[in-house]
Amino acid sequence: MSAVHVAGVSKIFNQGTPKQVDALVDVNLTVEAGDFVSLIGPSGCGKSTLLRLIANLLEPTTGSVTVNGKSSAQARLDQDYGMAFQQAGLFDWRTVAKNIELPLELKGWDKEKRRARALEMLELVKLPEFAELYPWQLSGGMQQRIAIARALAAHPQLLLMDEPFGALDEMTREYMQGELLRICRETKTTVVFVTHSIPEAVYLSNRVVVMSPRPGRITKLIDVDLGRDRSEDTRNADAFFHGITAVREALRGTHADHANEVRGVEDR
Amino acid sequence: MTVALSPRRLRSVVPPLVFGLAFLALWESAVRGFDLKPYFLAAPTKIVGEFADNVGLIWDSSMVSGGNAFVGLVVGTVLGVAMSFVLSRYRFLGELVTPLAIALNAIPIFVLVAVLNNMYSITSEIPRRFMVTLVVYFIVLVNVAKGLTQVKGTHVELMRSYAASDFEILRKVRVPNAKPYLFTALKIAAPASVITAFVSEYFGGSQNGLGSRITSNIANSRNATAWAYVLGACLLGLGFYIISVALENVTRKEGAPIATKQGKIKK
Repeated sequence: MSAVHVAGVSKIFNQGTPKQVDALVDVNLTVEAGDFVSLIGPSGCGKSTLLRLIANLLEPTTGSVTVNGKSSAQARLDQDYGMAFQQAGLFDWRTVAKNIELPLELKGWDKEKRRARALEMLELVKLPEFAELYPWQLSGGMQQRIAIARALAAHPQLLLMDEPFGALDEMTREYMQGELLRICRETKTTVVFVTHSIPEAVYLSNRVVVMSPRPGRITKLIDVDLGRDRSEDTRNADAFFHGITAVREALRGTHADHANEVRGVEDR
Repeated sequence: MTVALSPRRLRSVVPPLVFGLAFLALWESAVRGFDLKPYFLAAPTKIVGEFADNVGLIWDSSMVSGGNAFVGLVVGTVLGVAMSFVLSRYRFLGELVTPLAIALNAIPIFVLVAVLNNMYSITSEIPRRFMVTLVVYFIVLVNVAKGLTQVKGTHVELMRSYAASDFEILRKVRVPNAKPYLFTALKIAAPASVITAFVSEYFGGSQNGLGSRITSNIANSRNATAWAYVLGACLLGLGFYIISVALENVTRKEGAPIATKQGKIKK
């Protein structure tokens, strides 16, 4: 059973009005359990829309989305996935531990069980001493680690991430990438990851999905052959550079067709 | 008993205190030096003297005006909060009510008290309380409705990803988000309720409150006594403001950030 199966999906906003936008057209994608799949492409290619379709925060216009063998709607009701966004989205009026407990509260867990799990998650993201602080007392990178801890609190098998490191500085970003890989390895979580950084996509993923805009569609799937155990040394490996070159060339393909429309792809 | 004041505290307290005392000294010496008549401008020492002589009467009038302000503040806040929940739930109602609220805020609505006085018996306090309620109601409504609706998009998406119901989103996101907005509203509404209670007394009715005492003393050329009532009015307004600030400090969790009027987070 694949973790995510997207079949013949289109998403059209404002259908039948002058403001109609074909966000996605005929998208097919399968993510196997244990995969780390990145969605990359210029702004407007529908990568965030695709992620929200998988999360059932949007309904597809046509086609179907299956998560863990169920409809995406059922998967959302069962909290089969955790989600993290570019903004950490922590609640200022809750302590760090209470933020992590939120999805468990909504699942109806009792207090002791919630607290125990929150502390376990804080250990996982290596911030155990911050349980009783408020989010605004933490740095941006720490906040994002808390957001990841919260997304994984209910031990979902699938993690959906929308540019989670987009607002971080480069050093913090590379550190967070390493941490994310370690956490996913330890928890055996499948990840669908939206980014517009080519090195980030290559470093993290075993498969990169290259997308192009207007209408949004998948133009190429690139397998990254860096193995499972990646470290900072991986960033100097030949296979890493080959991967970057392959993704860059695939994105150039989208470039040639839409010379004036490519925005927001970071080439760093 | 001595109160320990830190140097930083002293720096924030001393300059306004010195300025205030210097202003009073200037006032006093101007009255004496130019031999200003009491019906033109009373000296501060005279005002304080009148205040001390009439402290019982000033207290009684303060209770009347303060009571009206308090009843209006409580009722207006309760109604404003209740209505803001309704408006945030049914957005189309908000579109109907908001222009009316803005229009009512734009006109000097005190004049309505004259109309209300006609509707009730001349000794009734209801028109004044109603007036305060109306002023407080709109301040609370506009602010709390903003707090309930202007939540972060990420927060709502996150809650939906947890399959949270609308009620759970209200309880765990909207209400906590609106709390600092309520206290901002109360900080504006508390002094406004006192002002409204005074001004409402200028449009007839019983001559028992601070506002009517001020006018009647001026009409009788008892200028210093009128000023003594003004002093009472200042203290009453200040009292209301301090209570609203204290309320905020009690309910705010230790260390939590304060939302400023613009809704930004101050550390």
